[in-house]
Amino acid sequence: MKWRKDGSKGWRILRGGLPVFLIFGLMLGLMLGGTARVAWSDNSLCFGCHQDESLKKQDSRGKSLSLFVSEAVFKNSAHKKLSCSDCHTRIKDDKHAEGGQKAADKRVNCAPCHEKAEKEYLQGLHSKMIMKGAERAANCFDCHGKHNILPSKNNKSMTHVSNVDKTCNRCHADAVFVKEHALGAAIPKEEFKESVHGRTGEITCTNCHGSHSLRSLIDPKSQIFRSNIPQTCGSCHPDITKQFRESVHGVLAARGRSDSPTCTTCHGFHGIKTKADPNSPVHERRIAKTTCPQCHAAERISREYRITTVPVKSYYDTFHGLSYQGGDTFSANCASCHGVHDIRPSSDPKSMIHKDNLQKTCGNCHPGASENFAKGKMHAIASISGEDFGEKVVGWVRVVYIILIVMVIGGLTFFNFTDWLRKTIERRHR
Amino acid sequence: MTKKYLRMTLNERIQHLNLAVNFTLLVITGFALSFPTAFWVSPITDVPMGMTFRGFLHRLCGVAVVFLSGYHILYLAFTERGRGIARDMIPGLKDAKDLWETLKNNLYINRPAKLIKMPRFNFREKLEYLGLIWGTIVMTVTGFILWFKTEWLQFFPMWTWDVARAIHFYEAILATLTIIVWHFYSVVFNPDIYPMSWAWITGDLTEHEMEEEHGLELEKIKAQQGGELKEFGEEAAVGGGRIYPARRERDEQGGRKAPSPRGFYGIVRGFNETIKNWKGT
Repeated sequence: MKWRKDGSKGWRILRGGLPVFLIFGLMLGLMLGGTARVAWSDNSLCFGCHQDESLKKQDSRGKSLSLFVSEAVFKNSAHKKLSCSDCHTRIKDDKHAEGGQKAADKRVNCAPCHEKAEKEYLQGLHSKMIMKGAERAANCFDCHGKHNILPSKNNKSMTHVSNVDKTCNRCHADAVFVKEHALGAAIPKEEFKESVHGRTGEITCTNCHGSHSLRSLIDPKSQIFRSNIPQTCGSCHPDITKQFRESVHGVLAARGRSDSPTCTTCHGFHGIKTKADPNSPVHERRIAKTTCPQCHAAERISREYRITTVPVKSYYDTFHGLSYQGGDTFSANCASCHGVHDIRPSSDPKSMIHKDNLQKTCGNCHPGASENFAKGKMHAIASISGEDFGEKVVGWVRVVYIILIVMVIGGLTFFNFTDWLRKTIERRHR
Repeated sequence: MTKKYLRMTLNERIQHLNLAVNFTLLVITGFALSFPTAFWVSPITDVPMGMTFRGFLHRLCGVAVVFLSGYHILYLAFTERGRGIARDMIPGLKDAKDLWETLKNNLYINRPAKLIKMPRFNFREKLEYLGLIWGTIVMTVTGFILWFKTEWLQFFPMWTWDVARAIHFYEAILATLTIIVWHFYSVVFNPDIYPMSWAWITGDLTEHEMEEEHGLELEKIKAQQGGELKEFGEEAAVGGGRIYPARRERDEQGGRKAPSPRGFYGIVRGFNETIKNWKGT
C-alpha cells in the first residue's frame, strides 16, 4: 500500500491525531464487545468537499462530471476502513496540488491489494480489449463498483450471485454494444432468464464464463472453448460428463473433431431447459425431429464423416418414426435405442445397439421380445436394388403393388368414365 | 306408389352400415399413421395421446370388421336368404360377357346399344364383393401380424414383418381407391343413380332401378308372381313370402313352446328374425 508522501494539511492532522484515535477507538471497541466500527482512517477532509452533491468538474472533452461521493455509502462498503488516499494515490489536479506534487495517474489501481485477481484479470478478455483500446471494456470498477464496493457474499453487492447477470447485462444486453463488438445478435439475457440454470438463481454468468479470467470463445484456455465445455459442465454434472467422455461423440470431440457434438450442441447454451420442457431441444418430441438430425441428416457432415443419412430417413418411414411424427411419445425415438449421453457405436460391446444387447434394448418397450426379435437390418430402406434380402423383398412387394394399383384402379376408372360418358351423352339427346 | 323390390333386409343394412363405419374409421386412423403431417390428421395429432388413441381405435375397428366377417359367413351359411345370396354371388361366364357388352355399349361399338339383362347381382357388384373378401382376408392376416409382432417374430425373421407392413399399406390404398372409384360410382355418381341409391337406408329398389341394373332378376320375380305384381314390402321378400317361418310357426311345427337355441345357429336365426320383424318402437 502506498502512503501519501506529501504533507498535506489533512494528513498532518491525521498523523497527529492517530495515537489518540487508536486508543479512543480501542476503548470504544472493547466497550461495544469488539463489534463496533473502528475508524482507522479519517476521510473527513476529503468528504468535506466531496459530500457536496453539486460538486462537478469538466473533463477533457468538456463533459460535466459529478465528483460527489456519498459518505454513507462508503462507510457501508468493504473498503470503509481505507483512507481515500489508499486508492486515489495520485490525483492530478490543480486543486489537490496546492500542497504538493501533481500525480501522474488519477486512475485507481486495485492491484497492490488484489494481486491474484489482477493476475487473472490480465489474462482475461476484458483486459485484452482495454489494451486494444476498446472504450467499453470492463475495468475492475465496472463490475465491482467504486465507492460502494461490497463483498460478493453480500446480497446487495454487484458481484453477488443474484446480481451478476444485471452487472454483466449493463453492457452485454445493450444492443449497440453487442453490435459494435461483433457479438452477433447474441443478447443472452432473455434466454438465460428462462433457462433452467437461470431459474435456480444459484447459477449465473460467471459459473460457466469465469470471472476475472473470463476468456474469449476462441481461446483454448477458455472455459467455454469447444473442447473444454464437457469439463465446464462437469463441474456440476460430473456423472454425465464421465458418461459422455466414453461415448462416440465424446471420444471424437476429445480428438478435436470440431463437428463432433459437445454438451451445448444438443442442449443449447444460455437457454438450456429441462428435458420436460417442450421448448427444450432435448425434449422427447424434438430429439428425432431437430436435435439428432441436425448432424445425422446434414449433407456436409454426413458426407465428410461417411455417416449416411439413411438412419434418419428410414426411421421416419418406420412405425416408430411415423407415429413419432404424429406426436406419439410412447413411440421410440433415437435416444430410446441408442442411449443419451453414452451413445456408442454398434461394434462396442457396451453399446445398447450391440448385437448381444439388442434383445434387451427392444425388450424395454416390447416385453417378451425374443432373441429373434431384432435380427435383421434395422434401418432398412426398401428397394429392389437393396443390399439386404428383406429390403429387396419389400422393394419388390412395393413394385408389384404399385403396378397392381395402377392397373386395377386405372381400369375401373376407365370403365366408369366410359359408362358416365355414354349416360351423359344419352341424356343430352333425350 | 311405385312398386318396390326388397334389396337389403334390415339385418343386411345394419351389416352394411357397420362395415361402412368401420371401414371409414380404419381408413382414417390407418392413413393418419402413414401421413402424420398431413393437414387432415391434425385433429388426431393435436390432441394429447391422439396417436395412441388412433392406434387403439384402428385395432378396435379391425376386430369389429373381423367379427362382422364372421357373422356374415354364418349369415350366408345358416339362413335361407343368405344361402341365396351366396349362390347368386358366384361369378360366371355371363358376368364377363355382361362386362364386355357394357363396355362395347359405352364405347359405341354396339350400335344400337344392346339391352343387357343382368341377374340379381350384376358384374359390378360381384367384382366388388369378391374384392372385398380378398381385401378383408389380406388386411386381417397382415394386420394381425403387425399387431402381434412379438409373437410373430419368435418364429419369423424381421423382414417378413416389414413385408406384412408393406402389403398392409398398399392393400389399404388399393381398397380405399376401389371404394372411391368403383363403389361410389355405382351408388352415387352414376348418372342413373345420382344423387344416391337409397337402398342402403330404405332397403328396396324401384322397378325402374330393377330394370336398369337387374333385368333378369326382375323377369324371374315377375314369373314367380305369375304376372301379378303386388306391392313389395319387407314382409313380402323375394320369392313371395317370408324367408323362413316365423318363430311362432317354427315352435308350432316342432311341437315346442319355448325357443331352444341350438348353439350359435339358433342365435343368428333368432337375431335375424327379430331384426326383420322389427317395426320400430
